[in-house]
Amino acid sequence: MESGDKVWEVFVQKKPGLPFKHAGNVHAYDKKMAIQNARDLYTRRSEGRALWVVPTEAIISVPLGDADAFFDPADDKAYRHATFYDVPDGVKHL
Amino acid sequence: MNITVENKEAKWLLRLADTSLILGQRLAELCSKGPFLEQDIALSNISLDLFGRAEELYKIIATIENNAFTPNQYVFHRNEREYYNIKLVEQPNEDFAWTIAKQYFHDVYAIEAFKQLADSPNKQLSGLSHKVLKELQYSHLHSRDWMYRLGLGTDESNKRLQDAVDRLLKYTNEIFEFDELDQTYFSDCEKIKTTWNKEINTLLSEVNITRKETPPLSMRDFRDGFHSEHIGHLLSIMQYLPRAYPDAKW
Repeated sequence: MESGDKVWEVFVQKKPGLPFKHAGNVHAYDKKMAIQNARDLYTRRSEGRALWVVPTEAIISVPLGDADAFFDPADDKAYRHATFYDVPDGVKHL
Repeated sequence: MNITVENKEAKWLLRLADTSLILGQRLAELCSKGPFLEQDIALSNISLDLFGRAEELYKIIATIENNAFTPNQYVFHRNEREYYNIKLVEQPNEDFAWTIAKQYFHDVYAIEAFKQLADSPNKQLSGLSHKVLKELQYSHLHSRDWMYRLGLGTDESNKRLQDAVDRLLKYTNEIFEFDELDQTYFSDCEKIKTTWNKEINTLLSEVNITRKETPPLSMRDFRDGFHSEHIGHLLSIMQYLPRAYPDAKW
């Protein structure tokens, strides 16, 4: 088991089928403490039925300086949005 | 105000209600003073569960007593000798090891106690007990986990836990000196004692803590309203506001 105080990112799922959403982070010394701390901080008001914790260091993010190259090209491509598509009745959480 | 409790079952329930309340108050003292933020909130959550449990128990007592008094009156207008909590839970938070050992000793006892009450003929009580057991399951997970962390952590954490266990164990014997009321309302008193000893002995040996012989306590039974010196200080803080300002509203 990992040891030493580190930061873990917390993801909460409100109910089965819905995506896990980032809720915040916690400090903890290992996996077990991380999940217990996450339970105490982020689900005390019935926010969810499932939890993930991930060491912050395991998350790979786009370097801030590269943001333009990564994201700007999408700004003028409206055709990528499927606005012409009729959503069938009964489809939830789209 | 002189608070009286007439019914036998109500008198007995005060032991459970007071035990939950006083432990809740002890944990609440750590609110904003926990060892780190996450544990601060964990302890406060458990404290709130204990207050909620106590309130529901006082409501059941009030119902049995035909609403002669309200839960607030039971909490804020009784004196030391009118409190019937186990002495274990009024012991102070000398350090985090004390807080954890106290909580763990309580949780193991309370789980078996509420398991038996889940079959109580008193429907309000059995309903509450089912809910309480879920809370206790988590609280036990938390306190037990920290017993491992402290016992198997560093030399210092082991030393502190050993000290806490030595000092707190002597307050546990009286819990199992059951009287006639206990025999009436618990379905199997002996099982509470054997279950507790079995789990505590197993855990302590797993976390390198020695269970030493405890000399008999020179204090009389909590069932008769006897306490250690700490209860008065605790009540004076807890009861100060409603006693100093009787007209104050929440």
